[in-house]
Amino acid sequence: MGFFRKFFQGEPLQDRKIADDKQEPKQPSTKNLSRNIDYLLNEFKYTDDLKIRVLKKGDAALLYFEAMTDQEKVQQMIFDPIEMGKADHIYDIPNSKETTNLEECIRSLLRGHAIYMEDGHERVTMFNVTSVFNRSVEEPANEKVVRGAHDGFVENLMININLVRKRIEHRDLTVKFFKVGKKTNTNVAIVYMDGIANPELVQKVKKRIQSVHTDKVQSPGFMEEFMEDSPLSPFPQMLNSERPDRIVASIMEGRVAMFTEGSPTAIVAPSTFFMFYQSPDDYNTRWYAGTFVRLIRFASFLIAVGLPAFYISVVSFHFEVIPDDLITPIKSSINEIAYPPILEALVMVVIIELIREAGIRLPSPVGQTIGIVGGLVIGDAVVRAGLVSNIMVIVVALTAIASFVVPSNELSMTLRLLTFPLIFLAGTLGFVGLIFGFLLIAVHLAKLESFGTPYFAPVAPLRIKDLKDTFVRLPIFTMKQRPKGAQPVSTTAVEEGARGWKKDEQSNQSKDK
Amino acid sequence: MIRFIICNLCTLLILTGCWDQRQFKNVKLTLTIGYDEGEEGEIYETVSIPTVKGSEGIVEETVQVLSSDARTPLDARDKIDQMISESFNPSKVKVVLIGDELAKSDIYPLLDNFYRNPNSNLNAQLTIVEGTAKEAINFNSTGDTKISEYISGILKGASSATHAHADNMQMLWGELIEEGEDFTLPLLKVDEESDVIKFNGLGLMREDYYTGIKISPEQSTLFLLMEGNKGNVARMTRKVLDDQPTPILEYITFQVLDFDRKMKIRPEGKEVNVDMALNLDIHVTEYPHDHLVDEKIIEDLNNDLSNILTEEASEIFSITQEANSDVFSIGRMLKAYHPDVWKELDWAEGYKDVTFNPKVEVTIQNHGIIN
Repeated sequence: MGFFRKFFQGEPLQDRKIADDKQEPKQPSTKNLSRNIDYLLNEFKYTDDLKIRVLKKGDAALLYFEAMTDQEKVQQMIFDPIEMGKADHIYDIPNSKETTNLEECIRSLLRGHAIYMEDGHERVTMFNVTSVFNRSVEEPANEKVVRGAHDGFVENLMININLVRKRIEHRDLTVKFFKVGKKTNTNVAIVYMDGIANPELVQKVKKRIQSVHTDKVQSPGFMEEFMEDSPLSPFPQMLNSERPDRIVASIMEGRVAMFTEGSPTAIVAPSTFFMFYQSPDDYNTRWYAGTFVRLIRFASFLIAVGLPAFYISVVSFHFEVIPDDLITPIKSSINEIAYPPILEALVMVVIIELIREAGIRLPSPVGQTIGIVGGLVIGDAVVRAGLVSNIMVIVVALTAIASFVVPSNELSMTLRLLTFPLIFLAGTLGFVGLIFGFLLIAVHLAKLESFGTPYFAPVAPLRIKDLKDTFVRLPIFTMKQRPKGAQPVSTTAVEEGARGWKKDEQSNQSKDK
Repeated sequence: MIRFIICNLCTLLILTGCWDQRQFKNVKLTLTIGYDEGEEGEIYETVSIPTVKGSEGIVEETVQVLSSDARTPLDARDKIDQMISESFNPSKVKVVLIGDELAKSDIYPLLDNFYRNPNSNLNAQLTIVEGTAKEAINFNSTGDTKISEYISGILKGASSATHAHADNMQMLWGELIEEGEDFTLPLLKVDEESDVIKFNGLGLMREDYYTGIKISPEQSTLFLLMEGNKGNVARMTRKVLDDQPTPILEYITFQVLDFDRKMKIRPEGKEVNVDMALNLDIHVTEYPHDHLVDEKIIEDLNNDLSNILTEEASEIFSITQEANSDVFSIGRMLKAYHPDVWKELDWAEGYKDVTFNPKVEVTIQNHGIIN
């Protein structure tokens, strides 16, 4: 009814804008064409890529950023209708927008629009002729799955929202846009399910986004650091992913996803530690396999964080625990190593990180070569030279492999960093240090919060129901309630009788008998 | 404040002070320790220290055997430490050998340091060597490279064949300390003729010294069954027939499938009677005469074996009484169930006066897959 009320009260109907710009400055246009152009040129600091096409023998001008516009679209949208006689005048072309505010012209020029001005008229016409370059929605290279959807987010915000909307065709899916970054004016969108997501949570996210005052926002990583609860913690408190299926699953649990223009990564708030260990693969395979793989991932957490530290404390403090039959092999391998085990471990861990970093930056064929040269040749030579024992090579290589098992790159990095303090603790205090290290990590995890959700939920605080999708992955129809970690308002995810057909069939069979 | 913390942390990192690490590569592990009687009340300690060299699979191992005279075991260790490079470490010791002459005096002082030091390996096995421990440790003409592996292998084999206990030093601790209970230790002997070390029965201990009396390897299986222990296999060979064409036909070999032992103590005044009933279900593994389907033959064999073993059991009881070694824990049971009698008895000599009434009953359950 609002539409009619507005209509009768004579208020002109306006386009919905992406972001609220009530506070933005206004500069009325004048009837003098050259003064208008001067104003714009001055505002744009006489940049050379602002193209001015003079029309009607100097009485009119078409302005656009050459780099931002598609020449074909200019031809098609502005000149074709006139040449073909569909419209008598540029003002009459239907898909245009008019304004008398030069500041608005500036904003639309920056968006890649073309504006048309005529001498003797205040009104300015704007045409959307933006050129768009998009890569295809390919599977992200760092989050591959065996079975399941193979598309991924791209650098265009609208395409990303399109990917989400296609997966959730429901009126409750809500998108809110924000402009963040005083200079970059980056579009940020939050996406959530109204009615599942907690309104307080949504409010919290909105408030945190609005209070980001900075020049530029390059990527979700920027936003993450501005918004997260404990920026000093080594653990990522917002899950980031380039996979639409993963993000959609989080949205359906009642979490809020956030996209930024120009980045294919979406981030999710609130996130818990165990979310980083869930992969879409778990839900695409049978639940036994999903459970098994997930348990292996959790074992990888312990290996990645603790194995070098454990080995160091065994060989430099507590060699009593080495099994009798392993004494000779271990002793023979470390007997003639010049350095203490802690130094050996640090050297090997640093070498592995060097190889990894070199492999990422180089083009892929060279990267592989580096991996082989680094892994095999250096690994072998280092042992032969007597710098590092071969057992230490095994330990560090296992640690590196285990750290790559985590489905999230963020957490994988965290794990590799946490190895270092534990190595130092184990090297100075042995098992005592190792236990203290693990204790501190556990205390920190239990204390951490992400947008009001305990980070270590559902283990601390314990919620047995949510453990169905934590260390194990039980069949989906048993997960009747959404995890509490997402603070959802509506809790039922799978309704009663989701497998009701089974009872029906059984009763039918008994009737037949 | 932050500067203060950073300064502190840096100083701490540099001034780590005593760093109590014990690098595995800097220790000389000893796997076998032996004690013998030295001159003038001293003890004589022998250790074998394997040194490994080379990496990448090919491991060369040289074994160093060192001995020293000293007042106490740790004194000896200090002296040995002065003879070797790096430091001597007994925390992975596998077998502890005691020469029989030394064992006849108190053995507890030798072991005190193992129990007192939290790093020692209480999983080690304790044995007595007939002759000297040094002889056994110096013995090196076996396929096994390390004497520790050879000796612990012998003991493991003996315990799985029900010849000896699988007790380690941890398990012996209770028996060593407790009154009213004695124990046995496996005996080893270096057989120079056939150039082997062999298991040579169980030495009966009285409190914490070796009595010098032993249960022979042939009797040890029955002895362990009487104690209520059975390893993986309990096999015995006994003579059941006479006047056969060849002596080999006179014997039967059987395995114990299952056994049931009941001990009952009946004190009558100051006199203590012990009834022991041992039921053995056996599986005949070797009996060339065959015809084991005939019920009469089986009946006869059952009776013969029962009589032979009952006789043997009383013999074993009298051996333990001769040694005054209460290996069947009669004293402890008396203390628990008949405290009045226990108070009146002088158990130092009381065990010798106990009357044992053993009764072994053998039942052939199985005779293999041929008739």
